[in-house]
Amino acid sequence: MPNRLTPPPSPPSPSTSFYDVSDDEESDYNTVAHSKSGKGVKLLFSKSKVYVHPTPSSKDNIPGFIALVQQRPPPRVVIDRPLAASSSAENVDASSFLLAWVPESALGDAYSTYVKVDLSEDSPPRQTYLVPPLPTTTSYNDSVGLYAFAVPLSAIYSLLVRPPSLGWWFGSLVINTRAGDSPPALFFHDSECESTILQKKKRARESFDPFGDDGSMFWGGDEVLRWLKRYVEVQRSAADPTVYLINPSEEDKLSFGQPLNATKVQRRQSNAQSASAQPGSSTPRDAGMDPFMKALKETRWKVLEQLSKITTFTRRTANEIVDNPRIPPQVRRLMKIPEIQTLQDEFDSARLYLARWAMSIAEQSERERNQRIWTARDVLGTENSAVGDFEILDLETGTMSIQDKRRTVTLKEWKGWFSPNDGRLQITVDEVKERIFHGGLDPNDGVRKEAWLFLLGLYPWGSTEDERKAMMNSRRDQYVRLKGAWWERMLDGTSSAEEHDWWREQKSRIEKDVHRTDRTIPLFAGEDIPHPDPESPFADAGTNVHLEQMKDMLLTYNELNPDLGYVQGMSDLLAPIYAVMQDDAVAFWGFVCFMNRMERNFLRDQSGMRAQLLTLNHLVQLMDPQLYLHLQSADSTNFFFFFRMLLVWYKREFGWTDILRLWETLWTDYLSSNFHLFIALAILEKHRDVIMDHLKHFDEVLKYINELSNVIELIPILTRAESLFRRFERTVQAIDKKNNFPLPSLRQRKTGDDASGIDKGKSPQQAAAVSSSSSIAISSNGSQAIGDRRDAVISPELRQLLSKEVITVGGKDTRNYEV
Amino acid sequence: MLVLAQWSHLRPFSTPNESAGSQVNKKFSASYKATIGADFLTKEVLVNDRLVTMQLWDTAGQERFQSLGVAFYRGADCCVLVYDVNNSKSFEALDSWRDEFLVQANPRDPEGFPFVVIGNKIDVEESKRMISSKRAMTFCQSNGNLPYFETSAKEALNVEQAFEVIAHNALAQEETEEYNGDFGDPINIPLDGDRDSCAC
Repeated sequence: MPNRLTPPPSPPSPSTSFYDVSDDEESDYNTVAHSKSGKGVKLLFSKSKVYVHPTPSSKDNIPGFIALVQQRPPPRVVIDRPLAASSSAENVDASSFLLAWVPESALGDAYSTYVKVDLSEDSPPRQTYLVPPLPTTTSYNDSVGLYAFAVPLSAIYSLLVRPPSLGWWFGSLVINTRAGDSPPALFFHDSECESTILQKKKRARESFDPFGDDGSMFWGGDEVLRWLKRYVEVQRSAADPTVYLINPSEEDKLSFGQPLNATKVQRRQSNAQSASAQPGSSTPRDAGMDPFMKALKETRWKVLEQLSKITTFTRRTANEIVDNPRIPPQVRRLMKIPEIQTLQDEFDSARLYLARWAMSIAEQSERERNQRIWTARDVLGTENSAVGDFEILDLETGTMSIQDKRRTVTLKEWKGWFSPNDGRLQITVDEVKERIFHGGLDPNDGVRKEAWLFLLGLYPWGSTEDERKAMMNSRRDQYVRLKGAWWERMLDGTSSAEEHDWWREQKSRIEKDVHRTDRTIPLFAGEDIPHPDPESPFADAGTNVHLEQMKDMLLTYNELNPDLGYVQGMSDLLAPIYAVMQDDAVAFWGFVCFMNRMERNFLRDQSGMRAQLLTLNHLVQLMDPQLYLHLQSADSTNFFFFFRMLLVWYKREFGWTDILRLWETLWTDYLSSNFHLFIALAILEKHRDVIMDHLKHFDEVLKYINELSNVIELIPILTRAESLFRRFERTVQAIDKKNNFPLPSLRQRKTGDDASGIDKGKSPQQAAAVSSSSSIAISSNGSQAIGDRRDAVISPELRQLLSKEVITVGGKDTRNYEV
Repeated sequence: MLVLAQWSHLRPFSTPNESAGSQVNKKFSASYKATIGADFLTKEVLVNDRLVTMQLWDTAGQERFQSLGVAFYRGADCCVLVYDVNNSKSFEALDSWRDEFLVQANPRDPEGFPFVVIGNKIDVEESKRMISSKRAMTFCQSNGNLPYFETSAKEALNVEQAFEVIAHNALAQEETEEYNGDFGDPINIPLDGDRDSCAC
């Protein structure tokens, strides 16, 4: 805890179950047997969002806490409790610690204590937190109803621990008691668990290495193992690395601890130790690799091939696989994981299922590869990827190192770029954009508030501070006037019936959408004020001031641009800007600027969306003809499955913080004003092998792509997209040079620039080509032409991608809204 | 088989956000968002001892995006028209949705194509109800005896039953198409058991 010397101040607990005593002071807590006396057990560790999945259906999942509690060692009086006597005799200590799971719903007042301990900076917390004792269990028989349990560590024989390395499914933990049975499996929903997210971040911050010692991602189960290791001996079985033995006897150690080929393990260990010293040796790739994953990797293609022959993957066929002895046990075990069963229930498509599975394996190997890049970057010059050999971005060529380029732009750095006298920018716009494109803006120091207004185009880059202030003042007035206009009309009812109907319809649409936009963000979550409109469908739920501001801004935009009006998706575009600005007038104008470039997405005839999907189509044809042919065979070359991503700029695919980073990157127009299409290409390329191997129909492609929501890592995609852009640029140059083709007519008509048109800072003047329906220049009739790039012509749509000029509808910019 | 429905209206049924013991953060889960583009979910229903897998398609609601739905209309085996019993506009729009569908999907036998009408949100208090059961039934009768259900997706009322009928009718429709002719009343066509359950 480098930044904090004292634990976070906790408000005194209203209940008496909270005592300010040190960790080791064994004072005022009780044994389970004395639970009725009202005292509690000591809560040492807890972790939220650990679920029991009682049925294959995710709707039955029960969220709860896993916890380690300490009770007083059993007193010598006779207790009516079938504690495993033998082990407690051997290890008295272990019996006073209990590994427990308790559903959120059963916690009552203790809930806040569990949360406090979960989020405590010191773990275990310095203060003693007492909670009501839990029903101790040493044997578990499928009792229906409450699933809560607490097992003394002395009664635990082993833990079956499965990290979430098989994709984005949840990691799980199964307790095997010495009595030979198990409480229900616990599933760690890490993405919902605040403490795991914080711990993950902290690890990344402190070590720049989000991976654990063994190369796997940190997850909630790691924490549980850490807890246990404080109090008991935890030994990972070498024979089955998913098994962790608790206080194993010598006998257990022999039968579980000794692998069949002990030499191999020894070699592995020595490799692990010397891996950095001899990166070129023949075996280090396997160093530390989970044998379970290894087995999967070795068998997967055979298995996948077999399974993919099954076209309809019903529950029955799944069961057959589970029982089929010819399927490797690892796969059979996989099939029994409830999450996977749920998947089968929900998506009855073998290919889709297999595709996700295959992708998860690919991701795993990519992680391993990334890790090698980390340790031996010099050795690894190329990335073996779908679009041929991808160069690792040539970032070192400039004066700045990779680290410098990728460093976040802070408020301090930003302010340093402006003159202290008149607040005018002192470096070139391109330099600013380059920094933001690669490094992003600091999410915490408020630099976005200022920088976004430049990126969005509200503040001219050459303006002085005074000019900006004056401009913002008049914009504020203008916002108030615009807002007043519809407000007055609403009160007076001076509009025609037709106008009024349309307006009411828009208002109710906005109402509905705002109430379901980013409500997981704290800013928009509250329902602390009563709804002003009793007619609203949300009148009962209540609202908050930020939701009301959102509605006003969207209605005001509806007023400002009545030809377009409010269209679904706009609320998604406004929310991040408002959350960053936290000022309705400023956010409104930022949004108006954003809408200038996004307006084409929302046109009634959908021409803007069609144009972008067509460009994406051309881009894939040029950059990955094989994939294109596959998509053609799957009736998917309309690229409709990217509709949502393009419409609201990946708002539904990435988490909130990633969206802020992505959008500011795109707003720079540093490489292309259509860089978002290279993001699309990067996502497609990352998944291309899976798509080609497993997805044969449009619905499968659509479902697979839709399901990528919230599982894509942003930074690798940004890197890949940049690399793809460079490749695209070179390809265009090569084709132009080789064929010396006459320039496409569209370009000749509009501009006299030279063919490459990619000189930094000097973009060709491209007018809006929104409704361009010019012929597809790359032949789309079959493999012949596609495979042969020398015959390809760069279509106007593709050439447009080299432009940094933002495409707007009718060349509109904010000046059109001058009053 | 493909079924076209605005299942976002029926979402709590398929992805229960508000099941017992729900917390505030669950209420606003990912599925609680306006649909953009298109998506579908699959649902298995048992029809005459056969496990039938339905794809329920959902597209964006605003007219602006309607033209995009066209791609998904084709190939549909059943069209579910959902309206809100507390909103007369949504009821009055059923006619135009039906026509729009028939124009775009262009089924071989428009008269016999199975539609199912669902009046949703019956959990809302009685005083807010705008469309009576009687009025809805009259509409369904005069439009070729369309099956009609009143549901509450929020409280999972009647939804399961509605989907069984939808699956039944859609299956019949699919087989009608397959046998290429003989368009009877889709509801009463006996189902053949020898075909494998459909692979959608």
